[in-house]
Amino acid sequence: MLVIRRISTSRWWHKKKNWILFAIFLFLVFVRITKGSFYKDFYYFISKPFWPGQFQKEIILESIEQEYSIKLSLLKKDNIRLRRILSLQELSNNDHISAAVISRKTGSWWRQIILNKGSKNGVEIGSTVIGPGGLLGRVNNTSLFTSSVTLLTSPGSKLGVWVDRIQINGLLVGLGDDYPSLILYSKDADIKVGDFVSSSPASTLLPPNIPIGMVHSIDETLKSKKTAKILLLAKPHVIDWVQILK
Amino acid sequence: MNKFFTKKLSLLSFIFIPIIFLWNPNWLGFLGVQPYWPLFWLLPWSIINGSINGLIFGLFLGLILDSLTLDSNFTQIPGLIFCGFLFGRIKLNKDILVGHFRYGLICSFGSFLCGTLYFLQILFRNFSDINSLMFILGVKNILAEVFLTGFFAPFFCSQLLRMFKFSRRQ
Repeated sequence: MLVIRRISTSRWWHKKKNWILFAIFLFLVFVRITKGSFYKDFYYFISKPFWPGQFQKEIILESIEQEYSIKLSLLKKDNIRLRRILSLQELSNNDHISAAVISRKTGSWWRQIILNKGSKNGVEIGSTVIGPGGLLGRVNNTSLFTSSVTLLTSPGSKLGVWVDRIQINGLLVGLGDDYPSLILYSKDADIKVGDFVSSSPASTLLPPNIPIGMVHSIDETLKSKKTAKILLLAKPHVIDWVQILK
Repeated sequence: MNKFFTKKLSLLSFIFIPIIFLWNPNWLGFLGVQPYWPLFWLLPWSIINGSINGLIFGLFLGLILDSLTLDSNFTQIPGLIFCGFLFGRIKLNKDILVGHFRYGLICSFGSFLCGTLYFLQILFRNFSDINSLMFILGVKNILAEVFLTGFFAPFFCSQLLRMFKFSRRQ
């Protein structure tokens, strides 16, 4: 009886150490099956503070920004020089007037904004108004202290625009909704969704190359012309500050 | 001086209609559309002063509001004249609660009338380019305006009516 009792207490599963070893073995099997993903994830978290990215990224972005600003200024100079050669309309940086939006009608029958700068500040009828994103519209009316702007979405708005990818001029017509219509008087124009639309370089009403929007959808049902809906880059219903180009 | 102001309170409040029309508070809007503000003033004015006065001030309101909107092709005058004349034929209801709801319904009808007349002008002007999108937008504008005007009319019209009556008594 005594002998039997001794044997039963010496079984391997009665030893804690064996169970620990078995657990380690199972864990290693798990690691093997998951191809070390647990380790990799663990390493991800402990090595995070020592990554080279954060600091290096800032330096690289700063360098890229500087490179772009230098390139932009060179391109601007080139553009001005070429425009002078071709006798095209120029856009000067000194002719900007900053103005705040003091009244806004962007959803109903009327699509217009009123700005807090008027004829007293040198705003003239026909001046171009731009906001963050691009072109908003043109000044339609001025008082001494205010100016009213017809938005591109207004039913009365009609502007000549330029589709850069296919190098073609079109007419941007406001219909009273948020997406003005681009009319191309050529059925063969290869316009695509996502094409970039800007003010026409040959326009006499607007300064050249002001971003306007992107092609949102295309309607090809008409026989003689192609029309497309344009998603405007500047959002008049949220913009509070704009710039008037004299 | 004070008496002058209380006497002319109704006329002085007229000045605020274009200001609110320009202010166009976004938080009061629905689907980007605002209530048709001039009707809130025109209804109590016409009820108290009659059809002819309503018609005249409808014309005045139309002239002012047209000058504030840039679209010179369309006008709000016909709708406001018609509403001014129509509102002048309405008698006051003795039951205050019923009166409140009546203001809402009458202003909704007025807004529908003005919106429809404006939309008809747009359709007539763009007769060659009419498409379904234009119809949908027009109907959306009219319905949103009708809803908002009817919703806010009981608040504004009741207060203005009380103010005009008080001003008249002075």
